[in-house]
Amino acid sequence: MLNPFRPQSASPRLDSLRRLSLFVSLTPSELRILDSLLHERQYQSDEIIFDAGDEGQAIYIVLDGDVLICRQGDPHGGRIATLTAGTFFGELALLDNAPRMAQARADTACTVAVFFRADFLGLLDTHARIASKIYRELARHVGARMREMAIAAEAFQHL
Amino acid sequence: MSASTSHSVRASAGPVVWIAIIAVTCLLLFFFQKILWLVVPFLLALILYYFLYPPMQWLIHRGVGHDAAASVVTLVFLVLLAAVGIALAPWVTEHISAWHDTVTRYVDGGLKLLDSSLRSLEASWAPLARARLADTVAERIQHGGGNVAENLQPVAMAIAAWTPSLMLAPFLAFFFLKDGSRFKHFLGAAVPNAFFEKSLYLLHEVDQTSRAYFQGLIKLTILDTLTLAIGLWIMGMPGALALGTICAVLAWIPYVGSIAGGLLVVLVAATDFPGDPGMAYWSVALFVFVRLLDDFLYMPLTIGKSLELHPLITVLMIFVGGAVAGIPGLMLVLPVLGVVMVIGETIGVIVTDPRLMARHRQAKVLRRMAASRDL
Repeated sequence: MLNPFRPQSASPRLDSLRRLSLFVSLTPSELRILDSLLHERQYQSDEIIFDAGDEGQAIYIVLDGDVLICRQGDPHGGRIATLTAGTFFGELALLDNAPRMAQARADTACTVAVFFRADFLGLLDTHARIASKIYRELARHVGARMREMAIAAEAFQHL
Repeated sequence: MSASTSHSVRASAGPVVWIAIIAVTCLLLFFFQKILWLVVPFLLALILYYFLYPPMQWLIHRGVGHDAAASVVTLVFLVLLAAVGIALAPWVTEHISAWHDTVTRYVDGGLKLLDSSLRSLEASWAPLARARLADTVAERIQHGGGNVAENLQPVAMAIAAWTPSLMLAPFLAFFFLKDGSRFKHFLGAAVPNAFFEKSLYLLHEVDQTSRAYFQGLIKLTILDTLTLAIGLWIMGMPGALALGTICAVLAWIPYVGSIAGGLLVVLVAATDFPGDPGMAYWSVALFVFVRLLDDFLYMPLTIGKSLELHPLITVLMIFVGGAVAGIPGLMLVLPVLGVVMVIGETIGVIVTDPRLMARHRQAKVLRRMAASRDL
């Protein structure tokens, strides 16, 4: 039947989402609500996902393949991290629309789920419980990153 | 945050984009007047959608599922509409035969007021008396306007013909509420990767702008209705609430609608108080007062600057809309322009961004290479 708005009955990405640290405290029904807000995109190997300096509007969740985070325009020498399926990047865009710190490009052909800040802010109005759980996990994640950076800076000083 | 981005987006639309926006608006109006039976219910459905959206969100917030919430608010609206219809039915059937006489009486009253005003002008200003202005205008109206009854019949026929089409509005609004978010996904899927994040953000801005505009319009209509009704009631005008409602709805057409509403009230005042021209003048004063309240208090409180259209462009486009598509053009021109403006500016921003275009070209090359790798 021709129905472009037909809801997907059982999204295969639910399993990937369930394993993500950001959504670990969501119940299955809450995950389904979140899943309905995600956009799925496919990128070819070496295709740019976003540039450093772009206004951050969304968080990206890697569902399949690898994503390279690197310095702008320097994918080989400026490699910062390689993200595999089940990880996410661009998470600070959930907090504000500050410019992206680095470039993200597909390291292999990959599939990502995109969660827009506007939809996240909408969740705060309609499903505050889900949004607060995501906020809590995001705060933990950002805190862990800050600790890692502090330890790395300390180690660098001792060298 | 969004305001600054939205501002930077708008500021970058150049004259070419604007000419394209105006040309597309005119083309759409020309096309829309051929399918008015669909465009008008669609527009009403959009207003209804934004009216019913807050209660739907309220239900979702309290744990009701999305589709169930859409069904409940639409059903409650239809039940309320039916209740009002049933309540008004006896009154309508009782008065319907008298409406023809009432309209004729008010039109005659208005013509008499016009005639007496022109004659008093002639009496105080000799050049007008020499030109026999009152007689000339009366003669023109007699020949040009024809019989009121002759003019009323097509209006009644048009209302009867439009009823089934207007019944589409709640049906459409229900699907806007139910499938609106899926429509966003459907549109997003059609956008290439390079433009995806920016397009979706701008679409969100369009949605926010339209929401602010239509919800503001509903609030403004309620405020205008109440102010006019209270003012007319204090003046002792009959049917103050009905008159206030009609004038507030007419004011949806900027400038032109307000003038039409003002004329309507003057017509009623001139007919119901034929010996008291002061009533007509007080009506005009009330309208000017409400207009000032609108501009300086109500509009900033409700609609604000959601469309961000320059007043000169607004007025010019209303006349362009009238010239291209007649009365429907007058009514449709601003919503159509608002939508075309945001879409046009979005496309303008994207195609004039060399980095996004370069990324899109690179993605196309990569896709082509991937497709032909094992050939």
